[in-house]
Amino acid sequence: MILVMTPVVETVNLRKTYMLGKVPVSALQGVNLKVENGDFLAILGPSGSGKSTLLNMIGALDKPTEGKVFIEGVDVSTLNDNELADLRREIGFVFQFFNLIPRLTARGNVELTMAIPGLGKAERRKRAEELLETVGLKERVDHKPAELSGGERQRVAIARALANNPKFLLMDEPTGNIDSKTANEIIELVKRLNEEKGVTIVVVTHDQHITLQTKRTVQMLDGLIVQEKVN
Amino acid sequence: MKVSDVFSYAFGAIKLRKLRAGLTTLGVVVGIAAIVALLSITQGLQATITEQLQRGFATDTLIVSTGGGFGMGPGAITATESDFKLLVNYTEIIDEIEYVDMSAAVIQKPCYIKSGEREFMLSVVGVDFARYGNIYSGTFVAESGDIPLSPENEMVVVGKRVSDPWKNGTIFSNVDDAVEIIWTNASILPPKNETYTGQVTAVLEEIGGFGIGPSDSNVYIPISQAQSIFGTDECDTIIVQLENDDEATIESVSEAIDEAFSGQVSVTSSTAVLDTISSVFSTVELFLAGIAAISLLVAGIGIMNIMIVSLMERTREIGILKALGMKSRTVLSIFLSEAVIVGLMGAAIGTASGWVLANVVARIFSGGGGFMQAGEQAAAMGGMTITPVLTPTVILGAFAFGLIISVIFALYPAWRASRLKPVEALRYE
Repeated sequence: MILVMTPVVETVNLRKTYMLGKVPVSALQGVNLKVENGDFLAILGPSGSGKSTLLNMIGALDKPTEGKVFIEGVDVSTLNDNELADLRREIGFVFQFFNLIPRLTARGNVELTMAIPGLGKAERRKRAEELLETVGLKERVDHKPAELSGGERQRVAIARALANNPKFLLMDEPTGNIDSKTANEIIELVKRLNEEKGVTIVVVTHDQHITLQTKRTVQMLDGLIVQEKVN
Repeated sequence: MKVSDVFSYAFGAIKLRKLRAGLTTLGVVVGIAAIVALLSITQGLQATITEQLQRGFATDTLIVSTGGGFGMGPGAITATESDFKLLVNYTEIIDEIEYVDMSAAVIQKPCYIKSGEREFMLSVVGVDFARYGNIYSGTFVAESGDIPLSPENEMVVVGKRVSDPWKNGTIFSNVDDAVEIIWTNASILPPKNETYTGQVTAVLEEIGGFGIGPSDSNVYIPISQAQSIFGTDECDTIIVQLENDDEATIESVSEAIDEAFSGQVSVTSSTAVLDTISSVFSTVELFLAGIAAISLLVAGIGIMNIMIVSLMERTREIGILKALGMKSRTVLSIFLSEAVIVGLMGAAIGTASGWVLANVVARIFSGGGGFMQAGEQAAAMGGMTITPVLTPTVILGAFAFGLIISVIFALYPAWRASRLKPVEALRYE
């Protein structure tokens, strides 16, 4: 008997056209991509190649103009607003600009993610502290983002992304706004999550250091995948 | 997301911008305070006036006057303008009517009253002491001295405030004092002052407030004396005492009197006046509450304005929340919760400060002394104590109104927030 695993993410002939004023812009022109469970994939490409658009589609933040996105076999385009929200709870996002809620502490930011699906207060507090310890911020749980360095903020963002035990992590230029030393630490952390905890990770990046650590890289250009490479 | 989490998140957002939230809440506070203060004062005033009127003029009396007079509201039969004069001896006609117990004519003129060095402008009222005292047996009662039933000409009965105008024991006129009554007869040319010296035989018990009956600031002289001083047989009103205060009795006597004088008099029943007053009060109350409601409307627009600004500022935050899997309806409820918090705080503070305001205003009104401050009218008012009334209905209404206004005006911004698309919201700078 052959066990066929459903890919965590699969895109089929994915197209996305934006209206930039009155000019239609094709950001994606038929992307086919599969991400298997436990994968660590880097998406590379110059600005405007469609990397971020692709990430938004995979993250159910945006809807394709054409083609389909399957997340664990479920066609995202068939989901309504509420179902999409439910789906996003199972996806961990890490943004280039951290996107933490400024008025909440590190712990508050991580807790919020668990409060959304309705987890109890004591439970989420405990888990938030564990996660912050995992990313090496045990001593900084009560600090607000403004009191944290770029690297620390990104760690909070990673802890937040992991809070609801996501099916996979989506990272958009996670090292784009931090110095190279901190970036290396972040990369190490992400790699460890993939290797030790088996977290599936898709990362959009320019950073060569990241691509060296990933299991796979795809190269994008003008809304198409032009090269795929297994490291 | 749990309701408690939604509220604590909303509360955190409010806490972040204390000044802004405070000013928004202030709008609601002012509106609610105005409504609560106005309603509790008018309700207190109405209660006081109704109570004093009920004491001041018995419900089993009718008042006959010429022309419009009290002719307002149901129960009043209004006469048309004519040369008709209501004469003192018409009481004989009225006394003959079925169900009428007795009647008393009243002549009332403004006069100067002089006692020692002091002089006041007051109403001098000529009445038959026996009959008048019988009709107003609750209020035309002597505190000191005796009200003579068959008075000598110079005998004078004074109201409490005429005796003690400053409410502090400084006596203007007391029993056995001589008072000089000066009336300016303006009906002849040149006008002539008629002077008459009387002897105070009784000071009335304090009546308080105002009514159609006896008043604390009136001076009473025998009707025959009034006729001779004022040189007239014409009276201002005739008070009719009925055998009972049944509606049928009031109606039948009113009609009989109207018939007896061929429709040239107005007949007003006390109950009709009370009804009219309470309906006037309801109107005034509604009007004042309406004005106060406008300020709440302004507060509502303030809430909407602030929430739209806050929505712009928090677009990115909303994008993050949605990316984290927050449902649109949860975003909506967060924004509405903020409005609910502002509305509730505004209502609570507003109700409390409205109540304080009502008490302060009531104290200022009730604190007034005797009639020397602002003339006779104020004397009557000055004797009255307003106790603001804060009914549970008003409190509940204030909370409901504050809440409803806040939520209604927050609906649109909250709805817009909930409709934001995550990708666009995240890209918002």
